[in-house]
Amino acid sequence: MEYIIEMKGISKIYKTGDEDTVALKDVDLEVRRGEFLAIMGPSGSGKSTLMHILGLLDRLTTGRYFLEGRDVSKLRDGGLAGLRNRRFGFVFQQFNLLPRTSVLGNVLLPTIYGRIKNPRSRAIKLIEEVGLGNHINHKSNQLSGGQMQRVAIARALIMDPAIILADEPTGNLDSKRSLEILDIFRRINAGGSTIILITHEEQIARHADRTIRLLDGEIVSIAERVA
Amino acid sequence: MRIWLLIGQSLKAIFANKGRSLLTILGIVIGIGSIIGLVSLGAGVRVSISDRILALGATNLTILPGAVAGAQSLDPTRTPSQTRGFTLSTSTLTEKDMLSLADRKQHPHIKYVSGEITSSTVAETKTGDKRFPVLGVSPDYFAINSLTARQGRLFTQNHIDQKSPVLVMGNELAKELYGNENPIGNTLEIEGTGYRVIGIFNPADETGLANPNNQAYIPYTAAAETFKSPNFNFIYVQATDEDVVPALKREIRKTLMKNHKITNSSLADFTVISSGDVLSAVDSITNMLTSLLAGIAAISLLVGGIGIMNIMLVSVSERTREIGLRKAVGARTVDILNQFLIEAVLLTLTGGILGIGFGILIGEISEVYLGFTPIVTSSTIVLAVGVSSLVGLIFGVYPAMKASRLDPINALRYE
Repeated sequence: MEYIIEMKGISKIYKTGDEDTVALKDVDLEVRRGEFLAIMGPSGSGKSTLMHILGLLDRLTTGRYFLEGRDVSKLRDGGLAGLRNRRFGFVFQQFNLLPRTSVLGNVLLPTIYGRIKNPRSRAIKLIEEVGLGNHINHKSNQLSGGQMQRVAIARALIMDPAIILADEPTGNLDSKRSLEILDIFRRINAGGSTIILITHEEQIARHADRTIRLLDGEIVSIAERVA
Repeated sequence: MRIWLLIGQSLKAIFANKGRSLLTILGIVIGIGSIIGLVSLGAGVRVSISDRILALGATNLTILPGAVAGAQSLDPTRTPSQTRGFTLSTSTLTEKDMLSLADRKQHPHIKYVSGEITSSTVAETKTGDKRFPVLGVSPDYFAINSLTARQGRLFTQNHIDQKSPVLVMGNELAKELYGNENPIGNTLEIEGTGYRVIGIFNPADETGLANPNNQAYIPYTAAAETFKSPNFNFIYVQATDEDVVPALKREIRKTLMKNHKITNSSLADFTVISSGDVLSAVDSITNMLTSLLAGIAAISLLVGGIGIMNIMLVSVSERTREIGLRKAVGARTVDILNQFLIEAVLLTLTGGILGIGFGILIGEISEVYLGFTPIVTSSTIVLAVGVSSLVGLIFGVYPAMKASRLDPINALRYE
């Protein structure tokens, strides 16, 4: 079995005043290439922290993190930014689109920080794939929640990343829109991308190949989907 | 490559908030505008004054009694009436000095030389009493100052030798004293001596120091007796050529020091100045004034810069989420830093360019009210563009650093 991500003994401790808050405690985690992984847990369980560390947005306090076989625990800002740009696609609960910017402009954002071939035509193709072909030049604030999340997904895909990290991507959407978004994730997964999805909703997690449950910063269970 | 994309992002941010961007750069527009306006006006004033000085003639030299910056001219025992103009009683410039300068063998580079005894008198006019300058000079004086007769004739060496009580005057003075009557042949009484009017000048240019159209001229030998002051207040010399002026200055000093039996040049009781000397003195004064004014205007630029910093800080805090997102999708710290720096520089640069237009406008308006033609040089414009970019860079650094150091996680969570 090939692991795209291997984490060994990961801890994250936040210093708040005199007290240390342990957000993650000695976590071991392997993610298989091409799998659809759900991370579940109540709020405060450390799932967001784990997501940030996975996505190289935050540094770990102890432990080692191998991304595609390479130790990334000690990388500096420039190296981390490059990996976030090339290897990860982020989808957030709050969508985080640039306001007053067109759908196309939003999707093209990551290409400012890393080069790809024909960014424009690739962006247009992706926008069409997420079903917004006739909204290319709409401003992001003219879109509905579901449409905004599709733009965010197209943006996450533009650099052709190996891993899509989605943090409660359906948290702000109704159940119909949520299912549409999940459907898009499944299609992306079928195309070979690894998907790591953070959620606290059981119905969403049901779509994943594997579900990891966190509680108080520790992994309490790992469950494979029963076909 | 990346820099162009960042410039594009900065432009988008600036245009997304047009109203605010314009208000932000207003301080820079005013700052650069006042600097350009004042500097170009200063240059205009300098040229205007230089023109007047050069109207005195680049080949002309003036010899003054006393050392201009020395102790003699600042003698506190002299009463104000004694020191009127350049002292009447203590001048050390004698007829002998003038004659030795007039010696062509000794001074081949001197074309004309004339002493001047400066005084004034009062005469009755149709509109009341009038005081006007009366200058005792030799005929060379007319050549040096390009004065020619419109009516009658000018006095000659013969009148000098005879100490003849004859008088030539400017056309404005003639008009005031005699109206439409023919002045030639009239007698004008000066300090008890009757002088016969023999000539009226063609209108002459004002030199900025004196108006020859409003003065009367008599032979210096006659003036010495009438005013009981044998020595000259000035000796004017015209060189044959502009190139010989510096050498001629030294020659004149040598001759006069010999005449006055002075061996140590620091004790010289006279000063020789050329229009070049006056020009450089005036230049240094106008330059100083211009820098002073520009310095004051630069303070407004500083205030403008602080305004930019302020708005940029607000902008950074408003765009915290955007910064977090940019970092998440691969922006390095330095990319964020550059983007905000570029934004600040683009803002101030735009302000600078608008300010150049504003400054030229200030100059044009001042021209109408002050009568000086402002001079905007390309170096002024390059300087303005450079300074405004620099202001953006300096005052953009702090907000840009603040933006670039934001932690992406906190930035993304920021509400």
